[in-house]
Amino acid sequence: MRTGASGSEPDGETAVQVWIRHADYYVPDGATPGRPGPPPTTEELRRQRWGRIRRTPSALLAGLIIAYRTVISPLYGQVCSYYPSCSAYGLEAVSVHGVLRGVPLTVWRILRCNPFGSGGVDHVPPARRIWPQGSAPSIIETNHPPIPPDDDCAPAEHDQ
Amino acid sequence: MGFFDTLLMPFTWAVSWLLSKFHQLLTLFSDDAEWAASGWNWALSIVMLVIVIRVILIPLFVRQIKSQRGMQIIQPEIQKLQAKYKGKKDPVSRQAMAQEQQALFRKHKVNPFMTCLPLLAQMPVFIALFWMLNRMRQEQYRTDGYGALSPAEVQSFDASSIFGVGTSDSFLPSFQADPTRWDVVLLTSLMIITMVLTQFFTQKQLMSKNMSESALQGQFAQTQKIMLYMLPLVFVIGGVNFPVGVLIYWTATNFWTMGQQWWVIRNNPTPGSQAEKELNLRRAAKGLTPINEKPQAAEEQREKPTGKHLGQGAQPSKKKRKKS
Repeated sequence: MRTGASGSEPDGETAVQVWIRHADYYVPDGATPGRPGPPPTTEELRRQRWGRIRRTPSALLAGLIIAYRTVISPLYGQVCSYYPSCSAYGLEAVSVHGVLRGVPLTVWRILRCNPFGSGGVDHVPPARRIWPQGSAPSIIETNHPPIPPDDDCAPAEHDQ
Repeated sequence: MGFFDTLLMPFTWAVSWLLSKFHQLLTLFSDDAEWAASGWNWALSIVMLVIVIRVILIPLFVRQIKSQRGMQIIQPEIQKLQAKYKGKKDPVSRQAMAQEQQALFRKHKVNPFMTCLPLLAQMPVFIALFWMLNRMRQEQYRTDGYGALSPAEVQSFDASSIFGVGTSDSFLPSFQADPTRWDVVLLTSLMIITMVLTQFFTQKQLMSKNMSESALQGQFAQTQKIMLYMLPLVFVIGGVNFPVGVLIYWTATNFWTMGQQWWVIRNNPTPGSQAEKELNLRRAAKGLTPINEKPQAAEEQREKPTGKHLGQGAQPSKKKRKKS
């Protein structure tokens, strides 16, 4: 909120603060997800602040999903035909999109997760939310691990 | 009508309608009145029900076969993936591996859960039949009818018997009855043994003949092995509780599976399997060209250009060369 006072010259204070966009986690295989992009615009900074009305239901639901993931989910083992699993998807969707967009996304995902569906990698659509570096929900990092490059290139190296 | 009746209504109705129609048809063709009144017409109706259900399930079976094939074909790639992440047990690597594996499944249109779908899809029919046979013993339904069955048909079904054993009799109660009903015990035991044998044979044949050599090692083969010994156990535990009518269904459906599998293995075997070699030998004897020659050649050609994506990733790796 205080940034309003130094609105004309925000660079002096906020240049130190590095922001992570949700979209920064969507990188091709071999690249490291979660590297900060260019500094956010004022519009993005404004979007970042979720009011209490938006934050509370999201946090409550996220808490429920986390409880499910720690208590009930391990009993089943890996049963989802998608990556990330439905609960991981739901947790990320609710944390980055909020309840209004996250819940329909999750319900749609659960409906798609059946033996007739094709399965595969299905990430949450990127949200416009940004976080100060290090304070993004950990589920995002869990769901977007760095994919090491294949070793197929290694033999070619030795040949040289 | 309880909650479960309402829940099962669509299935019990469909099953009873089919049974009723088949029974009417069979009665029409029965010259002998005694035969018409016996349980054989009902037993045959159940077998015809199996045929209808299994014909409906053929597309599902085709998908299952395709999924199984895909699963076997991608085994080398799965093993490569396992080698890539060998020794990396940290959560991040495990997540990365899970993601790559799912991408692989998707690429080859494989769904590991497709394997047991035909069995699951038959479950509502099993349960409906089981439920119906139980209901028919109750006084209320003898006057009301059940599902699409008229009161007369319910009475006829309930009173029907083969070899003197009622269609609603089952192993456990007959075994525990005071004068043990040995006829029921004998017939149900025979049917359970038949079920177990057909299942065991089907699975064994699949494993010994229709799996490629790479698929015979690794996790997929392990799962198949578990199926080989677990399913007969399920049949025994379920079988002793199920009435003869349900056992007829189950045995008939197992025979269907066995025949279906035999046909597939004989005419459309998995690439790289024992059955494929046998088919090619038979084809050679007739002077025909072996199957699957072309697809393999095409696959080899397709795999070669994958070295292309060196483009972007090659730069940083040059430093490592000093060591080797």
